[in-house]
Amino acid sequence: MLTIDALQAFGANVTDGMTRCLGREDFYLRLVRMIPSDRNFERLADAIGTNDLAAAFEAAHALKGVLANLSLTPILTPTAEMTELLRARTETDYAPLLDEVLRRRDELRALCAD
Amino acid sequence: MTFSNSYPARRLVLVVDDESVNRHLLGMILSEDYDVIYAENGREALALIHEKRELLSLVLLDLLMPEMDGFTLIETLRADEELRRIPIIVLTSEKSAELRSLRLGAADFITKPYDMPEVILARVWRIIELSEGRSIIRAAEKDPLTGLYTMNFFEEYAQQVRRYEPNSAMDAVALNIDRFHMVNDLYGREFGDRVLITIAEGILGWRKERGGIACRAEADMFYLYWPHCDDYDAVLARLEELLAGISRTTRLRLRVGVYPNAGRDEDVSRQFDRAKVACNRIRDTYAKSILIYDDEMHRREVYAERLINDIQTALEEGQLKVYYQPKYDIRGDRPRLHGAEALVRWQHPELGMVGPNVFIPLFERNGLIRLVDRYVWRTAAAQAHAWREEFGVRLPISVNVSRVDLYDPDLAKTLLEILKENDLTTADLLLEITESAYAEDTEQMLETVQGLRERGFLIEMDDFGSGYSSLNMLAVMPIDVLKLDMKFIQNVQDGKGVRLIELIMDIVKCLGVPAVAEGVETAEQCRLLKEIGCDVIQGYYFSRPVPPEEFKPFFFKEGQHADD
Repeated sequence: MLTIDALQAFGANVTDGMTRCLGREDFYLRLVRMIPSDRNFERLADAIGTNDLAAAFEAAHALKGVLANLSLTPILTPTAEMTELLRARTETDYAPLLDEVLRRRDELRALCAD
Repeated sequence: MTFSNSYPARRLVLVVDDESVNRHLLGMILSEDYDVIYAENGREALALIHEKRELLSLVLLDLLMPEMDGFTLIETLRADEELRRIPIIVLTSEKSAELRSLRLGAADFITKPYDMPEVILARVWRIIELSEGRSIIRAAEKDPLTGLYTMNFFEEYAQQVRRYEPNSAMDAVALNIDRFHMVNDLYGREFGDRVLITIAEGILGWRKERGGIACRAEADMFYLYWPHCDDYDAVLARLEELLAGISRTTRLRLRVGVYPNAGRDEDVSRQFDRAKVACNRIRDTYAKSILIYDDEMHRREVYAERLINDIQTALEEGQLKVYYQPKYDIRGDRPRLHGAEALVRWQHPELGMVGPNVFIPLFERNGLIRLVDRYVWRTAAAQAHAWREEFGVRLPISVNVSRVDLYDPDLAKTLLEILKENDLTTADLLLEITESAYAEDTEQMLETVQGLRERGFLIEMDDFGSGYSSLNMLAVMPIDVLKLDMKFIQNVQDGKGVRLIELIMDIVKCLGVPAVAEGVETAEQCRLLKEIGCDVIQGYYFSRPVPPEEFKPFFFKEGQHADD
């Protein structure tokens, strides 16, 4: 079961995240549990796959907003980095960053499933 | 939450974000104080906004969304006359987007990641409060008929212009329609309203070109506060052209009073008082439609204010002097002292002698004439009593009764009390009522005058010929004496003047009342009037109005004749 302690161990800034949820732990955890199934992860991966940087930016940007609100720092950091690169439509190899994003998402998914 | 306690009703807020987590998060923060509805993109939001447009207090809007993005939604809402009133707070993490959305018309923004929930709630409430305040102002600031500002808001905005643009030369302009109540009476309220709307349209047209602000101050009075203009003829001509467009047959006369280049330290309401003074002065002169407030008008205004301020003291200190002008009966072989008219003068300690032609019209306008009249009635009654004691003669004194006195329900009672205090009867104090008073409100006047006659008072119609009484009205008017206006007598040498006097004398005979001619200055006029059957004469030919002590010789002269 997902807990605050587990999230903290994961690297999330739970204090900030909880504050935005008016200190309501259950609500915060409920929102965090929605993250692994956010469709923007797939959109991001697909867009990178087809080198559609505009679509990739939109997906990364949307994810960044959500992750920042919940202070899920381990996933937020590579997502934010991708977002800035994509905003500038930088031609680069996004695979390592994308892998990091997806790996961290999967870690969170595992935490949620426990 | 303190915010929700400020008003009883819960407001409806729409959260638009394609991210479900963000919607939930905001919804949770807001739902304690607000009813919250959600949309996933701009298109869905637009449909919801249309549906809930009456109830919706605020939209919280993400910018990057599928279907329709936030910017497009803002533009769509701002372009819609009805929906633009709904304030929008943009949700964004981009600095550049903050500026762009504010420029498009968003009321505020909330950055992502979100601030503390308390901060979000405070911003949401502040924007709702501002927007509702603005809606109330919008509803109250405009005159529903013309769409111009209402008076209170206009004054406030004019003061702002003064405050923030102190170096602009501004004109305060008052504009109205001559005898507008007649327009309503003659052509109906609907036409009257069209006239007002047309004027407002004209004013709004100028405003677009020249700037400034405008309001409908009251009924048909419009105020404009705009950059100084040199050519008011052109301004007026354009408006008259517009009015001609709504009616070819009705000639409407506009009056424009201007207080130009208002000084920056002057109070705005004062500036408009002056524009209005200029506008109202046009009433007296048909030759002009535009009057610019000038030094002369300013002097008059200051002078008038001085008189208004000083009248109470003048009455208390006896600065008002009652003079008496004798009336002579010319029917016999020699003129006989017949009566006197009490005429008031003001011996002002600083301004010197103030003529009745200056202060009486002023006090008639503001109602202070009632005080003056009562003072004269008392003084004249006391004088009649004193002369009776001294000379053993009852000399009737005529006193003026102003139009406003006729509206006083206690008029007869007051007059009877004065008579009683001085041991007089209604035969000792004759009441002069000016002809124009009859014309103003015939029914009311007839009733009041009839009431006075029933109590025994004799009514003299003053200034006959100067007003607009119809012959029909003359027939039903309750009068005992008719006084001819001096203007007729002044033209008496002229052939037409003589014929006119004869004609009036015929009317007098027909009414069966005696006629008094006033303003008679020469022996020739006196002879002529006697010839055509005038009974009594008053004027410089016999004597100017004199103070009571100088009146005594007239009694002595009568006495001598009696002894002869």
